[in-house]
Amino acid sequence: MSKKVIIVDDALFMRTMLRDIFESADWQVVAEAEDGGQAIAGYKKHRPDLVTMDIVMPEMGGIDALKRILAEDPSATIVVCSALGQKNLIMDAVNAGAKDFIVKPFQRAQVLEVVERVTTAS
Amino acid sequence: MDVAKFRDMFLAEAAEHLESMVDILVQLDLDQEDQDGIDALFREAHSIKGMAATMEHAETTKLAHHLEDRLDSCRQLGRISGVEIDWFLAATDLLELLLDDVRNQQEERSVASFIATSPKEPVSAINPDSKEDKGNLSLGKQGQLICLQLQASVAAPGPRFLVLLKKLAELGTIIESTPSTEDLLQGDAPNQLILRLESDIPQEQIYQQLQQYSELQAITFPDEAEKKPQQKRSIDKTVRISTELLDHFINLTGELITNRYQLQNALKTHDWQGLNDGVGQMAQLVKNLHHQVLKVRMVSLEGLTGRLSRTVHDLSRSLGKEIKLQVDGAEIELDRAIVEELADPLVHMVRNAVDHGIEQNGTVSVKAWRERDQVLIQVADDGRGIDPEKIRQQALDQGLLSSDQAKTIRDYDLFQLICQPGFSTAEEVSETSGRGVGMDVVKTAVEQVGGILLIDSTPGEGSRITLKVPLSLAIIRVLIVECDGTRMAMPISRVVQTAEISPEEVQSSGKQLMINYQGERLPLLSLRKILKLPQGPPPNPIPLVITEVMGRKIGLVVDQLMRQQEVYVQRLPAPFDQIRGCSGGTILGDGQIILLLDLQSLFERRRDKEKIA
Repeated sequence: MSKKVIIVDDALFMRTMLRDIFESADWQVVAEAEDGGQAIAGYKKHRPDLVTMDIVMPEMGGIDALKRILAEDPSATIVVCSALGQKNLIMDAVNAGAKDFIVKPFQRAQVLEVVERVTTAS
Repeated sequence: MDVAKFRDMFLAEAAEHLESMVDILVQLDLDQEDQDGIDALFREAHSIKGMAATMEHAETTKLAHHLEDRLDSCRQLGRISGVEIDWFLAATDLLELLLDDVRNQQEERSVASFIATSPKEPVSAINPDSKEDKGNLSLGKQGQLICLQLQASVAAPGPRFLVLLKKLAELGTIIESTPSTEDLLQGDAPNQLILRLESDIPQEQIYQQLQQYSELQAITFPDEAEKKPQQKRSIDKTVRISTELLDHFINLTGELITNRYQLQNALKTHDWQGLNDGVGQMAQLVKNLHHQVLKVRMVSLEGLTGRLSRTVHDLSRSLGKEIKLQVDGAEIELDRAIVEELADPLVHMVRNAVDHGIEQNGTVSVKAWRERDQVLIQVADDGRGIDPEKIRQQALDQGLLSSDQAKTIRDYDLFQLICQPGFSTAEEVSETSGRGVGMDVVKTAVEQVGGILLIDSTPGEGSRITLKVPLSLAIIRVLIVECDGTRMAMPISRVVQTAEISPEEVQSSGKQLMINYQGERLPLLSLRKILKLPQGPPPNPIPLVITEVMGRKIGLVVDQLMRQQEVYVQRLPAPFDQIRGCSGGTILGDGQIILLLDLQSLFERRRDKEKIA
């Protein structure tokens, strides 16, 4: 059975690109979210294997959403996705419990490498 | 026995031993398994004990003896603990008080209560059976060192290391890491992470886990032994900086930042005048910064000359001579590295002057002064001076000179022979020989820092040995020359003069080409030939660098004399540091890399080859 992912990003373009990458690697994208609130709701509903989380979003940002999801399920696997120039945000996210991060703009191979290593049991 | 008259000597010497005990202890604190350090400490305690016993100072002897015992068990154990180091330091304090008692001719204070505070014997010394336990414990406690290096292209190194640290924390316990999690959160972003991981997982599996991170360029598991000396080196090279100087740096950096914005603005608005002004300002700031940075490395000669008075005092006392030491210019500042390099040579020279220069009464003077970007340090005595005839005779006896050479050699060159290794040690009885004790060592040290050594002496009036050294090792003034299209630099401190001569001035003497230079005949050597470069068209006039190699002036023929310049010399990284004849490199303003010629070793290489041939 293919693994489940929720893609969280306020930009449709980014969501589409990520969906394309995940589907090509035989992942099931169970939900997309445009902000933190939607992400939390989606997580509760689907309990996916992975969440990719944009950091800067309107309404609730990625770091808050990440903290809330981890409070709900400490074993949640969340990877943040952010552009450079937001280095401190990436640091904050990792410190808050993100398993890894992807720097935008990204390439397919990079995304899959990160996804691979955070979702394979060590 | 009547020991009173030796009291001063005992006190001076014991204080010296105490001083070095403290130094060694501080060093040991950085590397508690340094066998040489523990051995040295043992010897110091042993010396103090011996002296104190001779002087019949019972309490001092008792304490020194106890220290010796304790150090002996440290020696057997192969290490000294931090607690013990602290205790030994306290012991040196007490020894100092005891010496005060002796100095004030009071009764020595009792040491019994202090000895009672001696730290417990280490467990494994008493009970060797527990060795196995200890082995496991220390292994488990130490964990495995892991060194991670990121690819240069990794976008966010700080968060990347944080991810890795968290990943490794899942595999075991991280005992320590550089940088630490806190450092990373503060924004530290080096490209290397060293950590100590305690884990039950085999190294291979840890390696496999880490291999999943293509961001890593290198994953290594260094041995303890490899890491230690590195740590030690970095600690050895610390300097103290006054906060005032630091503030100055911060101000300068602030001004540089302002300057950058000015320049960026001017660039954006195509304001050429502003750009011009900004660059001018930057030149000023950089010059200022350079000046300040140099200051950090500068230390005065006082640290060296302070030790000399004791050397002269002790030595003249033991030789039964009356010798004064006069020091001038101790406030002159020099690059720390040079001062350190000159410490022993200076003591050597002063000892020589006391021991051999002055017969009975006299003055040894140590003088330092600055001449442009060089510092001159002179050790002079008003003794009998060096008799050139005796050196001539000995050089003949030792086969250093042929009888023809012995006749024609000038006194200046003759004196330089004193610096030949083994010149004097062969025959201690000769009056002149003593002069040469270790002079080869002195000369080598001076040349190591890019300086030269000059000796002159007038029989009956005394001798003078002058060291000419650069102010700083890092930034020096060089002469840039060109040879076969390649530019090269040589330290100006090694250049006597530059000249251009016409081909008619060249004379030949056998195979050797010579010139007459200010009344001296100098051999001409071609840099092209020395460097095995193809011979070029004969230049006219011939550019010449008059330099001094192994105590002899020579004329070095180059293609072109370019200019003088201040450069920042960098050591060549391995394996290029093995190249003989080249002591470093520098990058010129136009981005070109040029090498710094080390004439001395270049000629040594040449001489070695000739010997083989």
